[in-house]
Amino acid sequence: MNSLSLSYAYLRHKVLSTALTITTFAAGVAMIVVMLLVNAQLQNEFSSNLKGIDLVVGGKGSPMQLILSSVFHLDVPTGNIPLDEAEKLGKHPMIKEAIPLALGDNYQGFRIVGTTQAYPAHYQAMMKPGGRYWEKEMEAVLGAEVAAKSGLKPGDTFSGSHGLTSGGELHSEFPYKVVGILEPTGTVVDRLALTGRESVWYIHEHHDHDHDEDADEHRNEAHHHGNDHADEHDHEHEHGHGHEHEHEREITALLISYNSPLAAVGLPRLVNSTTSMQAASPAFEIARLTAFMGTGTETLKYFAWFLIILAGFGIFAGLYNAMNERRYDLALMRSFGARPGKLFALMMSESLVVSLISVAVGLMMGHLLVEGIATWLAGTKHIHMTGRLFLPEEIWLIPTTLIVGALAALLPAVRVYRIDIFKTLVQR
Amino acid sequence: MPVRKEVPMLEINQLKAGYEDKVIIEVPQLALSSGEHCLILGSSGSGKTTLLCTLAGLLTPLGGEIRLDGQNLEELRGSALDVFRGRHIGIIYQALHMVSALTVLQNLLLAQYAAGLRQDRNKAVALLEQLGIADKRDDKPETLSQGQQQRVAIARAAINGPKIIVGDEPTSALDDSSCETVMELLLRLAASSNASLVIATHDQRIKRHFHKQITIGGAQ
Repeated sequence: MNSLSLSYAYLRHKVLSTALTITTFAAGVAMIVVMLLVNAQLQNEFSSNLKGIDLVVGGKGSPMQLILSSVFHLDVPTGNIPLDEAEKLGKHPMIKEAIPLALGDNYQGFRIVGTTQAYPAHYQAMMKPGGRYWEKEMEAVLGAEVAAKSGLKPGDTFSGSHGLTSGGELHSEFPYKVVGILEPTGTVVDRLALTGRESVWYIHEHHDHDHDEDADEHRNEAHHHGNDHADEHDHEHEHGHGHEHEHEREITALLISYNSPLAAVGLPRLVNSTTSMQAASPAFEIARLTAFMGTGTETLKYFAWFLIILAGFGIFAGLYNAMNERRYDLALMRSFGARPGKLFALMMSESLVVSLISVAVGLMMGHLLVEGIATWLAGTKHIHMTGRLFLPEEIWLIPTTLIVGALAALLPAVRVYRIDIFKTLVQR
Repeated sequence: MPVRKEVPMLEINQLKAGYEDKVIIEVPQLALSSGEHCLILGSSGSGKTTLLCTLAGLLTPLGGEIRLDGQNLEELRGSALDVFRGRHIGIIYQALHMVSALTVLQNLLLAQYAAGLRQDRNKAVALLEQLGIADKRDDKPETLSQGQQQRVAIARAAINGPKIIVGDEPTSALDDSSCETVMELLLRLAASSNASLVIATHDQRIKRHFHKQITIGGAQ
């Protein structure tokens, strides 16, 4: 018999209130774990996709929409920009790299992105053995997830459909040929089908010529397709392509990395004031976004701490009651020769055992919960998460909960020093 | 058993017992040699329990002195008194005070644990066998009858090999036959470890087992 086995006997003796205390405590811990994991993975998702992109140039409109659409491929684009203007900007001496993106179609909800090989290279994507990059029009390279979900292999063909979400008009007369598949990168590239810009232009130029009778309509829409970004279902026109003249080619956005930090001072203003294009800083927009969301996560965090403190009070109340019920036992142990310190240790170890079980249960619950959320989110194609990630911050939960447990036990434990054996056991 | 009067196991001189500065009972002189028993008789409210608790070191004497095995209890302070009591005094409370979270056997081990002594399972089981309740060792105390619980309390008081076992009404809740059995067991247990029994009771049935008796309260 020792203070641990005694604690165990007492905890088992009142199993229901023990379970209640552990559940409350563990729920608080699990909340914190969920928040830590979700936050870390969202941040990581942001930062790995943002990596090295200092500026995004696209059609005028909401800067956040521009970032979301062209960096994270979440929102619809703000509109298109003329290729020649974009290319002129790309040659600016302060720009190290300018990656063009041309959006417009999707395959089963995965976006087809017309770009250059610099785009996958930027995310350090590796080609799976047996694959190669596109060399001519209508050749495509699939991101790891697109390949896994669709089952397409090099040599297979697929048709894109119009628009950025599935369900648009199928371009079945212009099939793409898969020539390569990329290794998983953990970035947005995994969920894209990449091709040359020429393929996107090729489809839409031919597509438009097929619909010559709609020329009137096209001309009307040419006025607004630059900023009519939200109108995704207006599938004929939401991506402005140079249908009238071949040389008026357009792209959707330009991902820019600077040569020098000085570029951040002048370049965005230069773009915004002297061209028809818009420049947006991803870092700034994401900071804005997390500031919006931050209120929510902050609230959750406080709520989790509130739960933990509540559980601490639960332990306190539980121990205090137990101590009251147990004052006979404690006085009895004193009368059998137990020093107060021994009883203090007993009360403490009981609380610490409860805290330790709670933190273990809470950590487990938290990870299972995130894994559950991850499974649920896996269907949405946008956010990737796992419960099998362990963060160094979680280690801190263990001493923190132990301290909460120790504090909760302190007052009841101190009371053992003032037990009057005679009054408790004899007089009553 | 030879009685050596010159080294008393328990010696009381001019003892004033009570609590909260109120003297309830005075005992001018009492001495017990090793293995000698004593019965404290008195009606309820006469102060038997107060005297017993003072002897057991649960109450501080308000005057006079108590020597147990040569040790003046007044000289022991705080946890030193707890430790001394744990090793030398076995206490049977009137209310028994079984620890309901623990089994019968664990209740005995608890006394050893509390006293900081080695936990001897075999000794505890042997003691329970001696008292005829070894088959109940893994039961919770509340499932036992009053007589059985009384025996557990006796075993628990005796397990640390005390020099003196004090009992507060250990038989009064029992029927005649249980009363006899418990009394015999107590005496046998005390004899085997050469411990002195000091029993406070108003139970006239056990008077014949003691030839040293003091009566307190009311007419002597």
